Amino acid sequence: MSEPHSPQPAARKVTSLRDLPLEIAPPRDLWPELERRLVAGGAGRRRWPQLPALRPRYFAAAAGLVAAVGVGILIGRGLLPSVGGDIATHPTASLVVPASFISDPRYLRDRAELLKSLNARLAELPPQSRQKVLASLATIHQSMRDIQAALGREPGNALLQELLVDTYQDEMRVLTTVQEASAGSGET
Amino acid sequence: MISAAQSDRIDWEAALVQRARNGDMRAFERLYREHIGRIYGLCLRLTRDPAAAEDCAQETFINAWRGLKNFETRSAFGTWLHRIAVNVALARRRRPAWTVEPLPDAEEPEEPEWTLDTPVEVSEIEAAVGALPDGARDVLVLCGIYGYSHGEASEMLGVAEGTCKAQLHRARALLRRKLYPEGSP
Repeated sequence: MSEPHSPQPAARKVTSLRDLPLEIAPPRDLWPELERRLVAGGAGRRRWPQLPALRPRYFAAAAGLVAAVGVGILIGRGLLPSVGGDIATHPTASLVVPASFISDPRYLRDRAELLKSLNARLAELPPQSRQKVLASLATIHQSMRDIQAALGREPGNALLQELLVDTYQDEMRVLTTVQEASAGSGET
Repeated sequence: MISAAQSDRIDWEAALVQRARNGDMRAFERLYREHIGRIYGLCLRLTRDPAAAEDCAQETFINAWRGLKNFETRSAFGTWLHRIAVNVALARRRRPAWTVEPLPDAEEPEEPEWTLDTPVEVSEIEAAVGALPDGARDVLVLCGIYGYSHGEASEMLGVAEGTCKAQLHRARALLRRKLYPEGSP
């Protein structure tokens, strides 16, 4: 056994054990190795739930879902700090995925493929459903820009990070729903 | 009483736990980053070895990921992780260090916080705690530093509450002797 590790070499004096630091940062980031072990051990599971294949008669329900997501996002945006000025000065902010917590290669690959085929999928939807999907995606993408702008000012804000991840998940849910609906229409 | 900020944090954490239970690795990473400091700190104090503490912390989160489906969301995720970490740390030891006779309840009054006679440097206390025998150190770390009750600590460590109290009594005596070798100032 090595020598007892002294986690806080500072000369700070205390009169109670409760004043000792409860948190001690490990000397290196353990997550990358931990994640590898979790995935290698078969513990990793699909991140995105599989939706059942949708048939044309579910178009209305699918459109309802994306509309609901859009409304949810609008409500979520209401919780954000005011970022209007930032958006106005960065109207062409791209929808890149800068946050480390949305950098899963599988997610990025799935998202890229879904976005690539989106136009073709949309063309297969009835016009009314297509409009709802486009409106929902526009709301989601605007929310992403808003949240990213707010995170630019407060990079450590856990609530914003959480909201951003949720928004990307909402986008994925809409894209997946469109794909499933389109596949369902091809079956009949 | 739980403050509004704590309540927000618990709600936020419960949402992350729920997502992690559904297989969301990024949510689990967030939980990891939220708790790794406390878990590594606990493992380091229990193992006294940075390399062993790293292994112990990783094992804790692996066991947590695998056991998420069994986690009762009513209880605190941090406490649940601590229980796992203690189990992992104890399992790494070759033999238990619990050879102290249990202390009857009346002999050791509950002292929620033990105050030192004079201020001592953090590094000096950490070294003194690290030099304690395993059983005494386990209890001192859980009760004295992390604030668990005897009941909670004895449950985590798998010993009788009386034994836990006896070990704490012993730990404090040894610590006092180490910190004040020439008697109380």
